[in-house]
Amino acid sequence: MTEEVMSLANSPVLWIIALFIIGMVIFQAIMFYKIAKEAAPAAGLNEQEVKRAARTGFISSIGPSFGIAIVIISLLALLGSPITLMRIGIVGSAATETAAAQIGANAFGVELGGDGFNMQAFTTMVWTMCLGGMGWLLFTLFFTKSLGKTESKVRKKNPKVMAVVSLAAMLGAFGYLLTEQMVKGLTYSGAAVISLVIMVLIMKLADKKDISWLREWSLGISMVCGMVGGSLLTALM
Amino acid sequence: MALENVNNVATGKLSVKSRVNALTGMEAFHSKSHFWGRLTLLLVIIASISLPMYLSFVVGAHPGWGPILGGLVGYAAFIGVLWFIEPITYFPVLGVAGTYIAFLSGNIANLCLPSSSAAQKAVGAEPGSEKAEISGVLGISIASLTNTVVILATVIGGAYVITLIPASIQSSFDFVLPAIFGAVLGQFAFKTPTYGGMALVIGLLVFFSPVPSLLKILTTVILTIGLIYYFEKRKDDRQRVNEQ
Repeated sequence: MTEEVMSLANSPVLWIIALFIIGMVIFQAIMFYKIAKEAAPAAGLNEQEVKRAARTGFISSIGPSFGIAIVIISLLALLGSPITLMRIGIVGSAATETAAAQIGANAFGVELGGDGFNMQAFTTMVWTMCLGGMGWLLFTLFFTKSLGKTESKVRKKNPKVMAVVSLAAMLGAFGYLLTEQMVKGLTYSGAAVISLVIMVLIMKLADKKDISWLREWSLGISMVCGMVGGSLLTALM
Repeated sequence: MALENVNNVATGKLSVKSRVNALTGMEAFHSKSHFWGRLTLLLVIIASISLPMYLSFVVGAHPGWGPILGGLVGYAAFIGVLWFIEPITYFPVLGVAGTYIAFLSGNIANLCLPSSSAAQKAVGAEPGSEKAEISGVLGISIASLTNTVVILATVIGGAYVITLIPASIQSSFDFVLPAIFGAVLGQFAFKTPTYGGMALVIGLLVFFSPVPSLLKILTTVILTIGLIYYFEKRKDDRQRVNEQ
């Protein structure tokens, strides 16, 4: 990136908008935590279970968050800090956003960060990322309500259907996501299998001895074991 | 006749009333979720449009509408179909509030869903129940908060934050995705190993099938729902026969 583009990419107005967007994400998370806590008694959760669910959310998200943080470092040089912050803070994943940035730069007829990547090219890139990411936001804005109505209709008619659909959707999604990772190679398969097995063992132990803190840590522990296992396999091979 | 009517009205009223009482908490939760979810999404949409508008028309770096449209069309061709497919695919798991949070903060499969399901398991909630919905939202909202704070720290602290993590540990993050996905599947396979195995086999078959790659995850989800529904129904039918 030329100096001119870099200083535009890090200009104060961009910082302000990016921080506003991040502020909204934080505000939304706090708001939803609050209203979910209010609804907890109606859903049959006592105070202790509310704390337990929140703590589990925190423990389980530390690993993935650092995984995301490592990937965004490479984006900082490409996009500048404010754009990275606003794009990764909402909707996008690092891979999607890198591709989107490339598409935007190409639409202007240049390569991302290459020769001729001037202020206009940067603006084209930002338009592409912002409009492209908007699709999810607009769909969620307009259609979550009707999805919710359909869900409550189904639930009223036959609560068991909701239970089956919810379980099967989760299994299906992760069955596919896991396959996609496992076909990448033996080390990836190893990491997946290790973390799966450790998870099953932890859940069995937690159920048998009724250790609730172990359930809270289960995702964190199995993830670390899978990651370490994958690294060890790489070193061995 | 008249008496019957009165009776009907009375029971009708009674059942409506008790239903309202039982659902008040959850109904209030849903309407509040729609309000705050839509408001935050709308504000973020406005803000994300204002940024390129500022570059184009205040800074004066407008590239012309041609390249912008070209970029959007390129993006839409690349993954535009996911705008519709992802929210629908994940809705049965995320629910109303979970959808608003997950699609604003992103990182659905690698952060939001795992944290939601881990929270549900930690309190022993049955999938699809109201308890699962609320505990999932508690888990997701804290996960979104944690992730946002870590991202903010990384962007502001720059590469420095990452240098705090030793190189050997950094390389193990190559395996963060298979480790997360394996653990999540394990969480469910623990109670229903057959279904877990089935989902993995379907995923494998779909992966190597000629289904367009962006539709593969939806295809797997639909097939898994169909198959598990069929097995559950058969199980129920058998139980009914046995009871008789």
